[in-house]
Amino acid sequence: MIWIETAINGILFGGLYGLLGVGLALIVGVMRVVNISHGEFIVLSAFLGVSLAAVAPWLHPLVLVVPVMLISFGLGYVLQAVLINRIITRPDPFAAILLTFGLAVVMRNLMLEGFGADPRTLAAGTLAHASVRILGLAIGVLPLLVLALSIVLFVALQLVLTRTRFGRIMRATADNRDVVRLMGVNPARVYNVVMGLSLALASVAGLLLAIRSSFTPYSGVDRLLIAFEVVVLGGLGSFWGAMLGGIALGVVQLVGLKLDPNAGPLYAHLLFFVGVLLRPNGLFGART
Amino acid sequence: MTRARLRLLVIGVTVVALAATPRFLSEGAQRFLSECFLMLAMAEMWNLLAGYGGLVSMGQQVFVGIGAYCLFFTSMSLNVAPYWVLPLAPLVCALVAAAIALLLFRLREAYFAIGMWVFSEIVALWVSKTEWLGGERGMGLRTARLVDARWLEPLTFWMSAAIAVGAVAGTYLLMKSQLGLGLMTVRDNDLAATSIGVDVWWNRFVAFVISAAGCGLAGAVSFNATLYVAPGFAFDANWVVAMMFIVLMGGIGTLEGPILGTIIYFVLREVVTDVLTLSPSWYLVALGAVAMAAMLFAPEGLWPMVRDRWGVDWLSVRRRPPIRSRDDELVARGHPVYAGDAPREGGAAPPGARSC
Repeated sequence: MIWIETAINGILFGGLYGLLGVGLALIVGVMRVVNISHGEFIVLSAFLGVSLAAVAPWLHPLVLVVPVMLISFGLGYVLQAVLINRIITRPDPFAAILLTFGLAVVMRNLMLEGFGADPRTLAAGTLAHASVRILGLAIGVLPLLVLALSIVLFVALQLVLTRTRFGRIMRATADNRDVVRLMGVNPARVYNVVMGLSLALASVAGLLLAIRSSFTPYSGVDRLLIAFEVVVLGGLGSFWGAMLGGIALGVVQLVGLKLDPNAGPLYAHLLFFVGVLLRPNGLFGART
Repeated sequence: MTRARLRLLVIGVTVVALAATPRFLSEGAQRFLSECFLMLAMAEMWNLLAGYGGLVSMGQQVFVGIGAYCLFFTSMSLNVAPYWVLPLAPLVCALVAAAIALLLFRLREAYFAIGMWVFSEIVALWVSKTEWLGGERGMGLRTARLVDARWLEPLTFWMSAAIAVGAVAGTYLLMKSQLGLGLMTVRDNDLAATSIGVDVWWNRFVAFVISAAGCGLAGAVSFNATLYVAPGFAFDANWVVAMMFIVLMGGIGTLEGPILGTIIYFVLREVVTDVLTLSPSWYLVALGAVAMAAMLFAPEGLWPMVRDRWGVDWLSVRRRPPIRSRDDELVARGHPVYAGDAPREGGAAPPGARSC
């Protein structure tokens, strides 16, 4: 029974991992850029959440999602406009990786100076431990809400991409940034919005993850690696793949922690390696 | 004096000077210089991989850690002085690299970079769970007592200097060889390289294995000097941050660049932590910011600027194309060859190619 509960919690938790990854999958899909500072922005959103909760304690932590998302969108927009757009047209594929790696180092250490190295969590009151019994299984309310929120965001993203004018522009820019210019689209501005969306999605995950598990300024590395594993496992640029990749990682990590309490993310990392070995193009990518 | 003789003389003087240095320097100064040399060696290894091989790895710290653990474990199990088992560190790293390359070479570019990082995390997590390797607490090097304490610093200094010189000279010779040429072709355009018969996979594989062995050797000597190893230090991502900073600042894909980068790295560190007395995290902020600025405004690094400004070109592995036979004939007959006809140094660089 305990194992089924663990597996179900893993699935619910995996929705969050999917969200961590989908932001990265979005920029990989549209811009072919990997943002190494993705993890640091996720941790920054958690610190934003904690700071906002300290300023306005009457707000429920789940309400904080809205301002944190908006701030993260703005940060992403500025990051892209000020830094990444300057180097995105260079033929060197490593320019963006190295630039954002530098940014990650700067952000991590600034957060260390600003917020200290103590592990923190975002208090969610009774919600953090509340559970409902379904078919004799104790299922946490928070994980359920989190999964529901993840699915809503996934569906929203999918609808934006496939049904709206901006989604069409995004897909066209992803296909060919030179041709869309002929149609009057400014690819740089599209990229700004895409980076904003990427960090906004990631910030939701960062905030909710902060309720569940503690974080420090050093957590960015773990968050980035999980996000990256989600993207690769799910198949590059595939959103539903990212969701399922996240769920697989969530289940493996929670079951692994149950078997081996001090393993940390070891088993999730191992799953990634097995995944790369068996299906280098991801669970939903084309077979080679 | 010919260029070759001059070079030999410079090398000879350098070796004698380095051998004599410990007689004249305090232990603290020797330790500082050893650190510089090891960092330079690691940076050259990262440069070999990224600057010449076109493979950016964010997990090279894994080889620093494996090298260190290999030295500590074998030295203490066999109860011999650590120096005797030092060759095992690069050997084990080379084997691990060869094995992991089979898996990770399926990933391209950014995915390879982060895949290496994940691999490093796996090894670090595994080591910190493994009791016979000291777990999270790490272990002290008990066999250090088999070495006369007075010789500890000079030996470390000589080994570090030898590794640094070996890394620079080895990379130079490698780049002058057939393999080096193949490697640079792969970096500039792997499709074109394949079409002229260069084995892309094999060239990258060799560079990766050599780079891993070099990082392992430098890591083993580095932790041998501190007499203590723990997963948090050995597998610290800051190793690769430093390697990357040094190479980017100095000039990626040049041999002199990392030397310049290492000097800047340590000067910056001493200024921020000693002169400004700020905490190490401010130093890392400065490093990251400078690396970002380099990437934005001078993606080639500082050395190419110095080189072009003053025309110094000591360790260039640039190849000069053979003079075309028609020109040879014309020259032989005493005809002037138009300046436009003379092959330019290195030929016209394709857009985006880094100078080599």
